[in-house]
Amino acid sequence: MRLSSLWIRFLSVLVPSDDRRDWTEEWQAELAAIGGSMTHAWGALADAWYLRTDGWTMDGMIRDVRTAFRGLVRSPFFTAIAGLTLAIGIGANTAIFSVVDAVLLNPLPYPESDRLVSYNFEAPGLAVQAPVIPLSEGLYLHYLENARSLDAFAVFNNGSVNLVTDGDPQQFASISVTSQYFDVLGIPPLLGRGLVEGEDRPGAEPVVVLGAAVWEQSFGSDPGILGRLVEMDGVQRRVVGVMPADVRALTEEVWLPLEIDTEGPVTGSLGLIGLGRLAEGITIEAADTEMQDLLMRFVEANSDALPPELIEQAGLASDVKALKELIVRDIRQILWVLLGTVGIVLLIACANVANLFLVRAEGRQRERALRAAMGASRLDIVRQYLTESIALAAGAGLVGLGLASLGVRGLMSLAGDGLPQVFEVGIDGSVLVFTLVISIGSGVLFGLFPAMGRGTRDLAHSLKDGGRSATGGRERFRVRSGLVVAQIALSLVLLVGSGLMLRSFAALRDVDPGFEAEGLLTFAYSLPEAEYADAAMVIDFHRRLSERLRALPGAERAGTITGMPLTGLNAASAMEPADQPFGEGELGPIIERRQVTPGFFAAMKIPIVDGRPLAWGDQGTEYRGVVISETLASAFWPGRSAVGQMIQSQGDTENPWEVVGVAGDVLFDAVQDEAQPVLYLPVMAGTAESPGVAYSGDVVVRVGADPLAAVQGARDALRAVDPRLPMINPRTVESVVEESMVSTSFTVILLGIAAGVALLLGTVGIYGVVAYIVSRRTQEIGVRMALGAPAATVLKGVIGQGLRLTAFGVVIGLLGAWGVSRALASLLYGVTATDPVTFIGTAGFLASVSLLATWIPARRASRVDPVQALRAE
Amino acid sequence: MGSVRMTQITALVLRAVAAGYRYGFDVMEACDLPSGTAYPALRRLEKAGLLESSWETAEDAHAAGRPRRRTYVVTPSGVNALAEAEQKLAEARRLLGHLPPAPTVEA
Repeated sequence: MRLSSLWIRFLSVLVPSDDRRDWTEEWQAELAAIGGSMTHAWGALADAWYLRTDGWTMDGMIRDVRTAFRGLVRSPFFTAIAGLTLAIGIGANTAIFSVVDAVLLNPLPYPESDRLVSYNFEAPGLAVQAPVIPLSEGLYLHYLENARSLDAFAVFNNGSVNLVTDGDPQQFASISVTSQYFDVLGIPPLLGRGLVEGEDRPGAEPVVVLGAAVWEQSFGSDPGILGRLVEMDGVQRRVVGVMPADVRALTEEVWLPLEIDTEGPVTGSLGLIGLGRLAEGITIEAADTEMQDLLMRFVEANSDALPPELIEQAGLASDVKALKELIVRDIRQILWVLLGTVGIVLLIACANVANLFLVRAEGRQRERALRAAMGASRLDIVRQYLTESIALAAGAGLVGLGLASLGVRGLMSLAGDGLPQVFEVGIDGSVLVFTLVISIGSGVLFGLFPAMGRGTRDLAHSLKDGGRSATGGRERFRVRSGLVVAQIALSLVLLVGSGLMLRSFAALRDVDPGFEAEGLLTFAYSLPEAEYADAAMVIDFHRRLSERLRALPGAERAGTITGMPLTGLNAASAMEPADQPFGEGELGPIIERRQVTPGFFAAMKIPIVDGRPLAWGDQGTEYRGVVISETLASAFWPGRSAVGQMIQSQGDTENPWEVVGVAGDVLFDAVQDEAQPVLYLPVMAGTAESPGVAYSGDVVVRVGADPLAAVQGARDALRAVDPRLPMINPRTVESVVEESMVSTSFTVILLGIAAGVALLLGTVGIYGVVAYIVSRRTQEIGVRMALGAPAATVLKGVIGQGLRLTAFGVVIGLLGAWGVSRALASLLYGVTATDPVTFIGTAGFLASVSLLATWIPARRASRVDPVQALRAE
Repeated sequence: MGSVRMTQITALVLRAVAAGYRYGFDVMEACDLPSGTAYPALRRLEKAGLLESSWETAEDAHAAGRPRRRTYVVTPSGVNALAEAEQKLAEARRLLGHLPPAPTVEA
């Protein structure tokens, strides 16, 4: 049979029965006359719909809606339970969708943001675990000059500045950018201008662009701010522009020119992230090809600094991505998992409400039969049911919106810094449309269940006994049982998912980060380079600060480090053991490096397994002592003591360091990653000509039970050393550890809530069905007990029925969980996606909960008084 | 029998039937309308009594080697309605003719 013919038959259901035969024949004949193509067949839907709705009047619809509302108001308890169940489901979906919408679906808030790309490169051959490898200055200049596929190109790196206004130091997130940065983003300034060419070259006048928030907070939105000199990190900078408040690419508040030294070494240090605006009509792939070409030309031109074999070994390649990819990164997967999860919760909620509606429909058999007798077609009755369910769902959707707006706030505070602030999460137009669609969708979904079932054929029968006979409900009972099986299965899927996340979380918590976080306070500092020009001054600052901090009541040790453990990798270079250097063109491992003060290891309680920790005497140019991590020691000097060995930057035989101690391994990247080899350098890590002192970093001080109680004391200590330095972001080291697990704990909490709601709804569902069985069979049970059946047999029979449903649901749920838990795989740690313990454990748990839900009504059945049961009829 | 609001589309469909297009799809093609527009217009016109439909006899259809088709013809009141619509159109044209030409818009 032709497709078009099937389609017409399918549609004919819509056509009023009086016209149906003629309608079908006419359409079949017309379509046959043109050869049965589908092109003109679609119009049959409009035609059928026209005929169906022709008799419908606005009055009729209003009457339906009014009847629906009256029906709902008449049973307030039912309405409240069903409405609330739905509202929770809809609210959860709306909340998660509003995040998905803002982060994944909406473009970034810049003009033609689909043309914005990030530029980095990848080098799979290097043992670096960083997600992106930044650029060097030389490469930036090379691209700036040659890249044709980009309209504008800029590089940046993040930092912070101290701004002193009226003698009060304040810390702001800053970003150092090259001159085309604002052209790339395409945003006009609120006042003044962005940066212009040449301002990012050495010797240019120091300028600054302020964010609207800083302008408002520190300068009272002074319209005369342009041209004023402000003091930042000890440098007088002229304000040239103010940027509007909604420019929040990377949460920065102040933009400084990034000084690019055109005369410096082309391969210089890495650390710059590239940002470009594609030229009109250029695809990301095309840009990537050009950048790769240019990269190879750059490597060829600089083969003395970048030996080709080395480049080949590293597998160096350009990596142009949509800017959004760089910002969104791994949030994408968590969000889809969460959306899937709340989708399942909504399905379970719909199943529950469908069940409630079915129960209600039982009581309305007579009403329905009466309407049918008076000439209402089946479709009219379905319409009446649907009007009622959609009215309920619409109300639930409204309540759900309210819940969602609370939920979004909760989500944002739970996600913390895990969610880039560039995204504005909120309830906007597309979220409203989404809510409307899922509300009506779920209204139709659960409204159709009671509408299914008996047609009008056994009308008289229904009128006679009001649907009380056991046979009349059989079909409905099957539907209800099916719904319960579905609920149990869906709940199990969620339980397994949250069980897997919970086990991952537990495994993460058990990871030893290599230090003791309890009792530690940390805060960041940043020294103005202009005022600490001499390396000795920096060392003196650290020495005085740690003395002051140690003098705090209860404080034991204090130290500083450039970049706390568990906050990510941030500085690395190729190192080699001096006694067995790598050959020409051979690439040594990339070693993570930190600069620390002597007290650091003791403050963190990082064990020194060999040799000694750093001392103040190691800070200088005469004696160059370093500490290395155990992993590094066994990589360079396996089976031997590393203490007393010399280590150097690859190829730099002039400036080796002596290993004075070996420290226990500490995790610097995420908790789930393996320990990296780490080199701990002193605060002054360079040579007399190029001291390489650390101007910013993190202070740690062990203060005892309540670290936050010591914040004021620590602030005073810092002020005593240098009154112009702000204390940045004081917090406990425990919170640093927690934050490193935030994406896991975030997912655990949300999946846990979802699974809890699912379990509750599923349990209520099975309880309802078993209680229903019992009420239906009260009479029969009464008879059986009157005839001498023991209570235990009755109990067993009823429980058996409940258990069968549970067993079905659990089996289907296990299969479902098996299928979908893969989606979680990359979020898991220390447990596989098909972990049998989790699967069996959650299945057992769910089975016992539903057994309990079965047992309660079953017990009631076994206590039926035969006389009363029989009289109840 | 109801009345029908004479829109451009209903007038067009009525005119096509008056011109001798008898089958639904012929009308649709003659008017260059999608079937989902042409059919409801036919239904409306028939309900208003301006059109009348009947079925071909089985013999005719058999002779043509296809299923029988529904045919539409204009009723006397349909003829009147069409005349009225055309008169209104002529009147509109006449009124427009009295006005100076409208400025053309550059594409």
